[in-house]
Amino acid sequence: MSPDINQKEGETIVSLSNASKFYGSFAALKDVNLNLKRGEVHILLGENGAGKSTVVSLITGVNRLDEGERLLHGRPAPYMTPIEARRAGINAVLQDFSLAPALTMEENYVLGREPLKLGLVDRSTSRAETVSALKKLGLEFDPGRRVDTLSRAEQQMLEITRALGGRPGALILDEPTAALSHDESERLFEVILQLRAENWAILYISHRMEEVRRLGDVVTILRDGRMSGHHRLADVSNEQLISDMVGREMGDFYPHIPHQPGEPVLEVAKLTSGSAVQRASLTLHAGEIVGLGGLVGCGKTELARSLFGLCDITEGHIVLHGRTITDPSPATMLKKGLIYLPQDRRGEALALNRSISENIVLEVLAGSDNVKAGFVRTGKLAQLVDGLLARLNVSPRDPNKKVGELSGGNQQKVVLGRALSRERKVYVFDEPTTGIDVGARRDFYRELEALCADGAGVLLVTSDLQELVHMPHRAFVMHEGHFVVELAKDQLQEEIVVAYAFGETPEGEQLPEGELVQ
Amino acid sequence: MSEDRATSGLAKSAGSNLVARIMRFGALPIVLVICVVVFQLGNDRFLSQINVLNMTQQGVFLMLIAFGQMIVLIAGGFDLSVGAVVAMTSIISAKAMVAVTGAMPDAAGLAITIGFITALAVGLGAGLVNAIGVAVLKVNAFIVTLATASIFQGLTLVISQGIQVSGLPRPFIYEIGSGRFLGIPVAALLAIPVLFLVYLAVHHMRFGRYLYAIGSNAKSAVVAGIVVNRQLLKAYVMCSMITAFSGWLLTARVSSGEPLLGGEFPLNSIAAAVIGGCSLRGGEGTVLGVFMGVVFITMLGNGMDLLRIGSNYQMIVLGIVLVGAVVLDRYRAAGAAN
Repeated sequence: MSPDINQKEGETIVSLSNASKFYGSFAALKDVNLNLKRGEVHILLGENGAGKSTVVSLITGVNRLDEGERLLHGRPAPYMTPIEARRAGINAVLQDFSLAPALTMEENYVLGREPLKLGLVDRSTSRAETVSALKKLGLEFDPGRRVDTLSRAEQQMLEITRALGGRPGALILDEPTAALSHDESERLFEVILQLRAENWAILYISHRMEEVRRLGDVVTILRDGRMSGHHRLADVSNEQLISDMVGREMGDFYPHIPHQPGEPVLEVAKLTSGSAVQRASLTLHAGEIVGLGGLVGCGKTELARSLFGLCDITEGHIVLHGRTITDPSPATMLKKGLIYLPQDRRGEALALNRSISENIVLEVLAGSDNVKAGFVRTGKLAQLVDGLLARLNVSPRDPNKKVGELSGGNQQKVVLGRALSRERKVYVFDEPTTGIDVGARRDFYRELEALCADGAGVLLVTSDLQELVHMPHRAFVMHEGHFVVELAKDQLQEEIVVAYAFGETPEGEQLPEGELVQ
Repeated sequence: MSEDRATSGLAKSAGSNLVARIMRFGALPIVLVICVVVFQLGNDRFLSQINVLNMTQQGVFLMLIAFGQMIVLIAGGFDLSVGAVVAMTSIISAKAMVAVTGAMPDAAGLAITIGFITALAVGLGAGLVNAIGVAVLKVNAFIVTLATASIFQGLTLVISQGIQVSGLPRPFIYEIGSGRFLGIPVAALLAIPVLFLVYLAVHHMRFGRYLYAIGSNAKSAVVAGIVVNRQLLKAYVMCSMITAFSGWLLTARVSSGEPLLGGEFPLNSIAAAVIGGCSLRGGEGTVLGVFMGVVFITMLGNGMDLLRIGSNYQMIVLGIVLVGAVVLDRYRAAGAAN
């Protein structure tokens, strides 16, 4: 322990005032105020991309402020580095773990501050330290186990243990229960409340309303990089929190697409994929857009991927245009008229060091009309590419440009170009508008409208609430692998979607475990 | 095609694009010219007709194997077993030809044909083994082909007892091995159709598009509906069969089945391909580039011979050149990333 720190309750360890952070002209954070005080659990709430991670990066010294002031123990600290932050008692557990997988738990625990004896690592001391630190959290692991043999939850607990082994002060937890079971979460909550009693300052980022209510003393809400609310949790309703989080704007930005459902084109019957998706059923008709929403990790991406054979279907089946499929693969699904556009464009959708043209035509090469005896019909494909580049307004309109040199929005257009390279019955879009600008987004929505008009069925998987509320004709919300509700167009409101995504009814009641939509 | 790419790029940003083009391709032609000038000044027989034909005769084997290697490199793989495949082909096809000749001493044409078919069969088998290791067992290509190189070399030594196989049909040695037609080495004439087929496959056929897509990003290739394993299988089989063909030609050149033939090919073929613009990370490389890479390596060897630089020193030079090429490759990648 460190007697030199003034451990008075209520003392501010780190604070941001009018903090702003810009990336180019884009304000990731604008005029945000935040005080981390001893003996207080401070909740940070906001949608994806609202600026929560940027706040954490400023508090832990990963980034500098572009405007505003950062105080560390009351003194200005504009140039604080992550190491200085740690020395000053700011300990963070982020979503990306910083553990070395090939080392054991005890080697990880003492990493960077190994106890020495005659210049050699003192194994018995490091083991004793690790065991006692783990015990404090009620954990009884074998400290000699390699980290890569631990489950994600166990790694999470080790990460927290290690953060607590630093200098006592502040603890930052970024969605710590995402990987934890109920019991493990309970244990973590006890630890957090105990730390609060020991005058730690805690910054807790979570989506889960139940945790927010149970742990939080104060809450700061971010929306689009700005503070949209700051409350003592005792004085604020859930409705207020949600409305601070989602705000409202951009209503007429989205096209109105008439809902004229035709034949069913895709049926999903009690589909289960590992533990990520549990008995999900839905029907998609020609000419309609069905949304799929829910928190990150709720299983919506896995559901979309399993339709395309990228995640295993452990139970259930799909029916595509009347044909039952139990074991899809990308090649067969494309042949049968279903395309999936992955959310990780650079990692899964594009060959970055190849040209725009090669990327767009890659999938139609499988068809016989663009290839003759194995030879690519270059002229015909060049026409196709030219047409798509014009239609999608890709810039630069140079089919030989390498895709890796394009902006995110234009890369997305190339992916979309591949999807549009021939007619299909079903389009599955997974987070199609992340990381693209407003103009590209509007263009994308116009294409969705055109697809619908042409009689295709669209499944739109999205974490963007505005998009989920405005684009689909109806939507399903997932929570922990289950469909919890199907919402018709008139029920598609942000507050309702958010409530279900948190596993609650809009009236604030807890949904029964694993409720299914039939 | 690369021409209009250059001009359309030049219109936009002349300076940076020119540099990028030189980095992509242009350094090699310049180095080639410098080499020609230096070697010609060092020994004026370098550019004589006799020596140029001599280089063609020497270089044709590496040319074939480097083309095969290129196919695998574009798909993001490796083939370190090419040397062992050459040796294995040499021994097995020589044994087959000697057996046929022993049974029917007058049927040289038949013996040669059977030797040729045997060579291709050996290539097919070796390619399948490599492909199974890489595509089915999902072991890193470097390890798979390092292991199969050892296996194939071991098999070769077991079959041959470490002894060369002599008694090959005379026309095989004197026509295919060292014959000339219109002054051009027969081996080179036989190689041309194969090289042309590789060119078509890589640059004009669907197969080539798939190779680049897989090498550039295998995950995205799967998402685009490419059955990656099938394409990898084709790539490794093609590489091994072309290599076996080259091994068969080389057997004619050295006039006997040699159990230790071709040890230099793994390094030389990868060096030539990388110098010619193939990326070790896959997804890049062109036939023209690899062609120039092989010309460069062949000229380097021949030129140093003429300058009476010993083969031990040549190995040192080749190693340095290869490291230089890999560093160049990294700059190329960095340039592409910006």
